[in-house]
Amino acid sequence: MKKNGKITVLDPRGQPTGIFGRRLNVDSPPFAIHDPVNQPRDTAKALGALKMAPRLDRLEGKTVYLVDTGFAGGADFMAEVQDWFTRHRPDVKTELRHKKTSMFTDEPELWAEIKKNGDAVVFGVGG
Amino acid sequence: MIGLSPEALDRYIVGNDPDTGKPVIDEIINVLTKPVNGKKMAPETPKTEKAKSPQVLLEPDTEDNLQRLFYERGWTDGLPIILPTEERVKKMLAGTCASPDDVVAESFQFATREVVKYSVSSIAVIAVMAGARPEHFPVILAVASTKQSSLMPSTTAFGTMLLVNGPIRNEIGMNCGIGAFSPVNLANSVIGRAWTLMSICWGFAKPRQTLWSSQGNNLIYNNMCVGENEERSVWEPFHVGKGFRADESVISIFRGWGFFNSPGTAAHRSLAEELNIQLTAMPPMNSAATIIMDPLVARNLKENEGFNTKQDYCRHLSQSIKMPAGQYWNTDHIDMLVASQAYKGIEPYASWKKVPDDELIAPYYNPDNINMVVVGGETSPLWKATDYGYSGSASVDKWRAHPAGVECKDGTCGLPDKPADYD
Repeated sequence: MKKNGKITVLDPRGQPTGIFGRRLNVDSPPFAIHDPVNQPRDTAKALGALKMAPRLDRLEGKTVYLVDTGFAGGADFMAEVQDWFTRHRPDVKTELRHKKTSMFTDEPELWAEIKKNGDAVVFGVGG
Repeated sequence: MIGLSPEALDRYIVGNDPDTGKPVIDEIINVLTKPVNGKKMAPETPKTEKAKSPQVLLEPDTEDNLQRLFYERGWTDGLPIILPTEERVKKMLAGTCASPDDVVAESFQFATREVVKYSVSSIAVIAVMAGARPEHFPVILAVASTKQSSLMPSTTAFGTMLLVNGPIRNEIGMNCGIGAFSPVNLANSVIGRAWTLMSICWGFAKPRQTLWSSQGNNLIYNNMCVGENEERSVWEPFHVGKGFRADESVISIFRGWGFFNSPGTAAHRSLAEELNIQLTAMPPMNSAATIIMDPLVARNLKENEGFNTKQDYCRHLSQSIKMPAGQYWNTDHIDMLVASQAYKGIEPYASWKKVPDDELIAPYYNPDNINMVVVGGETSPLWKATDYGYSGSASVDKWRAHPAGVECKDGTCGLPDKPADYD
């Protein structure tokens, strides 16, 4: 309906629900993140704040994991990143790992190793 | 970066990020050590606010301003839309028996992790925007009910195909014959467009957030929306092969990358030999392929070559298409996405990984993942070969204006119209 030459139209976006999703389990399939039906839901308050990972105060003496996700060219690039640290930052220990499964799948054993032995992790390269 | 020397890779590492102009290695180290925005994160949990009431109506404005608003807000495919006034949406809602408040789909907003719901009314807004009519709405609702986006966040150029089977095709005047994929038919155009518009409004087309395709794919404008030419096909309709009855109306979705339009017919080689040439250029993920053939091709395969069913021909292709193992494994997306299956010992991939590069393998090892669809107007026995995989089907009938089994007063609703003559 036009009024004063102006039209009223409906918003094409959906309705917010106030419900937020989180992943089912550590080994649940990745699409559980994308599918709001197959994952637990919480209110924003119960879900908690979306926090960035805490930063290190320094890299000296730390162990940085370099994880090749498997996209083309990534293995050589991450190996070169490790070589850069060896040449320019010998005070930083690096561990190079290649994801055994595809870049979209979970790898709990690798995450456990990183949590146990690493201080930081760099994933590369996106494709 | 593929195949570059260590020296070349090192230049990428110490060189500048093309987006920020800063050395890449400095950015890597800064991300690990510098607080975000130079401030330490507050240790306590930030307060959350109650979700705001949904905004249903936009601020009134002129038609020109609203067209610009929709485009600038990223709610369109770049083309002008039919503005979704309350009157138009109300008319659209008459195309379904579902309640306007029934939730059809939900999507997950990555930025906020919030679940957003899409009711029948929400989808009606999209259908109006696409230029659809109420009779198209049940098909559009069926597409929405799959909860699948037509757009993928990959840096590659995914394409999609939306196939319609059953009586609804003729009831709403879909084109299944000559020029079926050409931009000449309202139903084919608006239904396919509606799927992309809802995907866009669901948030799947925000460049550098959810849209990363380096080149994009033009087929997404209407997702190759088409009806199968069931009346002229010598084989069973696609949806029947998936367990639906012939008199059920169903949509099916296919998705992949490679698309080959046959420039000529199988005049000097058999179709299988032609497909061997074309499909080996697109090594398959999970043995998937979708062949869209003109009714003339299907008739020749059945009457002259003895393939009584689609499945017979799929088995033939599965056995006859061969490629060297090295060609298969050295294909970028196969190496990235399938090699891990070999590592996990999954057959046949594990065995294929062990053979010499020049040994022939049959990459379409599972005939059940080869899909056959019959579309076209019988002016030439042509086909389209794709690596598209089948991504599911959904009922249209549950969304009709009159529920299945309920006749309208004069008894004519639900009966197929006379097939359109496109000559």
